[in-house]
Amino acid sequence: MTYAHSPLTAALLHSLVPVVLPPEANDLADDVVAHVALTMGALPTNFRRALITGLYGYDTLAVAWAPGGRRRAHQLPADLAEAYYVSWEHGPTPAHQQLAKGVGQLIKLACYEHPAMQAALGYTPAAWIDKVTRRRLEVYGADIARQERSLIEPDPLRPPIKAPRAREVV
Amino acid sequence: MVALPRPAVRQERIPAGVTTRDAIHGELVLDADVVIVGSGAGGATLAAELAECGLDVVIVEEGRYYTTRDFTADASAAVRALYRDGGASMAIGDPPVLFQEGRAVGGSTVINGGMSWRTPERILDRWWREAAIDGVRAKDLEPYFARVEKRIHVAYQDPESIGEDNHLLKRGADAMGWKVIPNLRNQVHCPGSNNCAFGCPTGAKQSALVSYIPRALHFGARLLSDVKVDRITMHGKRATGIVGRVVGADGRPGHRVSVRAKLVVAACGAIQTPALLARSGVRSPSGRLGHNLSLHPNVKLTAVFDQPVRGWEGVHQAFQVREFEGEGLLFAAVNIPPGILAMTSHPRGAALHALMQDYDKTVVAGMLCEDTSTGRVRTIAGRPQAFYQLAEFDAHKLIRGVALLAELLFAAGARRIATPFAGVPELTSADDTRALYAHTIPRRAMEVVTVHMMGTAAMGSDRARAVTDGHGLVHDADRLMVCDASLFPTPIGVNPMETIMALATRAAAHILDNHHQFA
Repeated sequence: MTYAHSPLTAALLHSLVPVVLPPEANDLADDVVAHVALTMGALPTNFRRALITGLYGYDTLAVAWAPGGRRRAHQLPADLAEAYYVSWEHGPTPAHQQLAKGVGQLIKLACYEHPAMQAALGYTPAAWIDKVTRRRLEVYGADIARQERSLIEPDPLRPPIKAPRAREVV
Repeated sequence: MVALPRPAVRQERIPAGVTTRDAIHGELVLDADVVIVGSGAGGATLAAELAECGLDVVIVEEGRYYTTRDFTADASAAVRALYRDGGASMAIGDPPVLFQEGRAVGGSTVINGGMSWRTPERILDRWWREAAIDGVRAKDLEPYFARVEKRIHVAYQDPESIGEDNHLLKRGADAMGWKVIPNLRNQVHCPGSNNCAFGCPTGAKQSALVSYIPRALHFGARLLSDVKVDRITMHGKRATGIVGRVVGADGRPGHRVSVRAKLVVAACGAIQTPALLARSGVRSPSGRLGHNLSLHPNVKLTAVFDQPVRGWEGVHQAFQVREFEGEGLLFAAVNIPPGILAMTSHPRGAALHALMQDYDKTVVAGMLCEDTSTGRVRTIAGRPQAFYQLAEFDAHKLIRGVALLAELLFAAGARRIATPFAGVPELTSADDTRALYAHTIPRRAMEVVTVHMMGTAAMGSDRARAVTDGHGLVHDADRLMVCDASLFPTPIGVNPMETIMALATRAAAHILDNHHQFA
């Protein structure tokens, strides 16, 4: 599914990056917001619509939040943005809490899937996978080939009712 | 029969017998002896066994066909591609339970950890006794288990593939004097790339994608990928085939696909199967279709050690701690990538950074809980929605399990442990674990996930209490079978793949022994 943030959703997510993530991730905000779009594109349509509606509610209800000075959430300065998010995190209904948690999860996923963050953590799985894949083939090639052959050796569960169908090449 | 259309350009990586959406340019109508909806542990196994004995089998899979070389360490891309709903499926309840289903050729076997355990004898005895299913006790299933184990190469790990996170788990269990056993996995010299949940990039894991599916194709089965089945066609109470639509690259429905068959098998898992049957107008006289959902609730702990662990270097779940199996609790080390660890952890901001900066010193340990509560899959506007309420008893069991697992991790040398409970501070000593019992931990504060959904079309001989008979044939319907974890009358307390495959093999034997009924 192709999905792109509206300008409002993107602005709101940008404003939430410093709230959810450590300062080390501030420079990655554009990439984080873009990654959230990829994840939202994979969500079921109804779920995504509900999330977008929730984000819209989060943004507009900030106007009625007394400390916010009648500003929308994406317009709040950092300290008030944090306080407003906390008011939802511990909000009066499960819907408030789930929305804060859900959007936080999307942002956290995007941040720590970023190659720069993973490199900073020393997380290097691709190199490890390459190394052990090569070693497996070198050391155990014969066993691997034997299993692959066994997968197509006849071993019928019951006497065949008729000969297996000739392979129909697509 | 309408022949499958030929693509303009042969897709080198797609094996003969597989038709993807790129090769379907108009309405497609096929005839077959058996049509199987779903290509995972149940569907692929059944297809291979039937095709080898000469039946004309068509497998219909909603997901894409991927090859081993498509699988990489890009976890979030894999989740978007291989997991239904981008991995965001959720059972509504207190707490909500996030669950994952594979949506690809090979089904959830492509994204599981590869644990291959026979159904515990006590569970099979219970099925025999309570659901009155003949031929399901351990001695009856022995030849089917053995056959599956040979096909998917169930074996212990080579020692060099076991990483430090698993050694620490074992060291902790040994220090506590607890029973810990090496895991049996469906693998051929798995080198421990620890990417099981995102598709095995080495081809070592013998998922259905690289075992039963190639075998089924070799013996003449045909596979349609990227086709979502809308409903099973019925003539009265007799199933006559399926109709569906090609799933386009943009997710939109495309050309219509029909398969007419003498036997229809629903093998799309415990969430999708009851919805498919309900959409098709199948009514169980038991009224139990979609009920009896068990989940094996899972929680995880994140333990930070002083020394480097590098949990991604070594196999996923080399050991299982079985000391508390009698209580329905299993423990294992389950390294997960940083993005997913961060996503499923409670802290944010600087506290999140404090947790994540020690990622290379982290052991993530998971716990499987055999649940006593059951939920339900309802079909709403044609889509399944799971509902599940964690029982108080199971919630207490989760707390006890977390405390026990934390004790083990401290015994292994952990310095601090983050729990799956929001609002509970990090544990810094074994004393803290005992204090867990004193905390009031509301269920909604628990971060619960699962990959084991079971029981929503349960088998049993009594049509007033079960959806299918002991072989998976739907009561009060003709030529309609279920072949996945929906069949389990109860949760099984261990990883379900091998049970599903053994039941599928047994179902194949039943079909072949009674093939005249399906002619």
